[in-house]
Amino acid sequence: MSLADGSDLREGSTIGLPRGLHHYDLYPFWRTFLEDIGFRVVVSPPTCRRLVEQGCAAAADEACLPVKTFYGHVMDLRWNVEAVFVPRLVSLRPGTYTCPKMLGLPDMVRQNVRGMPRVVTADFDETRPGRGLLEAGVFLARRLGRSRALAKRALAKACGALRAFRGSLEAGASFDEAAGEAIRLGQATPRGANRPRPAQAAPMDPGTDRPDLSPEAKGCARRLPPRNGKVRVGVIGHSYNIFDAGVSLGLMEKLSRLECHLVTSEMLTEEEVQAESSRLPKEIFWSAGRRVLASATKFRREGLVDGVVHVVSFGCGPDSMVGEIAERETRRYSDIPYLAVTIDEHTAEAGLVTRLEAFVDMLERRRRRTRT
Amino acid sequence: MRVTFPHMGNIWIIVKTVLEDLGLEVLVPPRPNPKSLEAGVRHSPEFACFPLKLNIGDFVGALDQGAEAIVMAGGIGPCRLGHYAQVEAQVLKDLGYSAEMVVLEPPRGRFPQLWDKIRYLTGHRPVGRVIGALRFGWEKLKALDELDKVLALGRPAEAVRGSAAAAHRRAVASVCQAASIAGTRKAARAGAEDIALTAGASSGSVTLGPPRSRPLRVGVVGEVFMIQEPFANQEVERRLGEMGVETRRALYLSDWVRMHLLPPPVGLGARRRVRRIREAARPYLRHFVGGEGLDSVGEAVLHESELYDGVIHIAPFTCMPEIVAASLLPEVSRDLGIPVLSLFLDEHTGEAGLVTRLEAFVDLLERRRAVREGRADRQGIRLRGDAPAGGHGGHPVASRPSSPTPREAHGCPLVGFSGWRRGPR
Repeated sequence: MSLADGSDLREGSTIGLPRGLHHYDLYPFWRTFLEDIGFRVVVSPPTCRRLVEQGCAAAADEACLPVKTFYGHVMDLRWNVEAVFVPRLVSLRPGTYTCPKMLGLPDMVRQNVRGMPRVVTADFDETRPGRGLLEAGVFLARRLGRSRALAKRALAKACGALRAFRGSLEAGASFDEAAGEAIRLGQATPRGANRPRPAQAAPMDPGTDRPDLSPEAKGCARRLPPRNGKVRVGVIGHSYNIFDAGVSLGLMEKLSRLECHLVTSEMLTEEEVQAESSRLPKEIFWSAGRRVLASATKFRREGLVDGVVHVVSFGCGPDSMVGEIAERETRRYSDIPYLAVTIDEHTAEAGLVTRLEAFVDMLERRRRRTRT
Repeated sequence: MRVTFPHMGNIWIIVKTVLEDLGLEVLVPPRPNPKSLEAGVRHSPEFACFPLKLNIGDFVGALDQGAEAIVMAGGIGPCRLGHYAQVEAQVLKDLGYSAEMVVLEPPRGRFPQLWDKIRYLTGHRPVGRVIGALRFGWEKLKALDELDKVLALGRPAEAVRGSAAAAHRRAVASVCQAASIAGTRKAARAGAEDIALTAGASSGSVTLGPPRSRPLRVGVVGEVFMIQEPFANQEVERRLGEMGVETRRALYLSDWVRMHLLPPPVGLGARRRVRRIREAARPYLRHFVGGEGLDSVGEAVLHESELYDGVIHIAPFTCMPEIVAASLLPEVSRDLGIPVLSLFLDEHTGEAGLVTRLEAFVDLLERRRAVREGRADRQGIRLRGDAPAGGHGGHPVASRPSSPTPREAHGCPLVGFSGWRRGPR
């Protein structure tokens, strides 16, 4: 089958971005890029029960909750847009892959969801030269009938938005804050203009003396505010689990309502992830799993947190392995409590609240005990 | 150093042959059994895929018997197999075993790495000896796959249940004992003849039901471990064979070796098959997804043109590549009219449930065959006489009301590019 011609997707055509999976890693990038090459971008609404249910009906039974939710978002978009954008993210970093389900995503969505409009896709593969995010982005824009120069300008701006987005996340912003900020930054910049340095959220207390930190603590630790008597919980997991309140049943919000100070695995910079990963006998070849294990290792080695909560989707392949290594090492080399929360479409909110409350209570008790 | 390795079907015979030929002391773990499975499940990560749990069971069994090192396969992703060795090492470490793990994995651009491992394992024996041992192992692998194929064809024909399997066991034992390449070939030939004779001769003397032109033929596709290991797939091939169905695996281990390990002139046919599988899968799946996901889809499509009656797709529970395949196989089935049964199996799979599903599937295939041959109408009601009823003959694909339009057949159009047949430049 040859691919359909997309050049009739003219300036101003609407293109849908499903709010799921890679959305939580690359949304500002896609949005800035697609808007700059002349699309009107529509994002599906935040995950809700109805979306999850319709996604579950269309997806294979064995698929994990985030994939089913992604189906739900695509189904929500399908009647209102001229095309849905589902990239095939093969690899976002040389030497790593995304999950196999991401590799099959455009094909699965295209065939499993009835009444789909066109699916706009491209293979983004950093393991192969000339096929990375930027090169493939230019090629995609060409296939959609846009000029190379326009594509390059759009991509440069999208990269700026992505850098700003990562910067805010690393400084501890929530997804909505970080993405909103990054996209505003992109929109404020006129096409092709040189982008000013992103207004990176300043480190919370740079330079001040931090008695709660060991002298060798660097990076992530320096960016964290002092504990102020609160327990600090490290939340590790894939971005689409941590940030999508509809999938994680509002885990982040529930934890902060329990008076916890949260550190997520998304707050590590790429350099920190790399530094932790290179200590392993074999580096993890899933990009999300690599970050999860790196953050668990960093939290443990630097004693950054009082407890670790690992958000896992039921049946998640990468996390079944990575989580096991993280949990065993945390248990073997430290006394930091480790809670793995497995979530699927049947998980009840009350059960989750009970477990989180019990976990945080335990952390608080431990903290009081060690202080006296 | 006593070396052990995980089980996967008959592979133990080959690994044992090669390693012993190189002068290593080999400890074959007990065949997977309910007890080893129990140990594996208890110590493995909850959501690890089934093969890992069986591996752990094998290792615990072997280490308890005094093994000191483990030879394990690896990978470079995105399938989970690539991290099996690391997780297994963690599990064994926490259990208090101190076994050394030698991981053989495809080199990432640096072939010497793999070669160094082989050299280390073989205690720096001469290169010629290593190659000789590998050749001997390769001969046994081919022989064992051949015997499996003959058994899968002989079983539906056997009159005395289990007679073909008994002949197969005898043949495998003689291949196992063969001490040279020529001896292996001879044992394989004699064994194949024995199986065919046992099955054929016994069926010749007894007539079973109405004679049929040929038995139903089912292709077994899916994850490579689950297909090869009868304990893991609950002996799907035996069960189907005893229901009178010929089976053929999409991937025998020797095919895998031909496709991926042998230098081009030897594996040319196999490599051509790989290309055909990719092409066949293309309307449904345009990119590799790790493991055997792409192959499962492509093989299912090819099986339709190769006149198989149906396809059984076997995968371990939570297997990521096969979930992609399982999402797409219903579309293949709908477009091409070939029945597909996806089975996700793990330690919780009940025998009765599996048998029921297989029986229902075989019934469905029988009825389709009867409809096609004019022995029954579309509702499956038997027609009188043998003459084909008007309007019900022909191949089911040809006799479907209307052939689907490309849009229906392949989902909505895809815009952009995928599969990189035409590069970006």
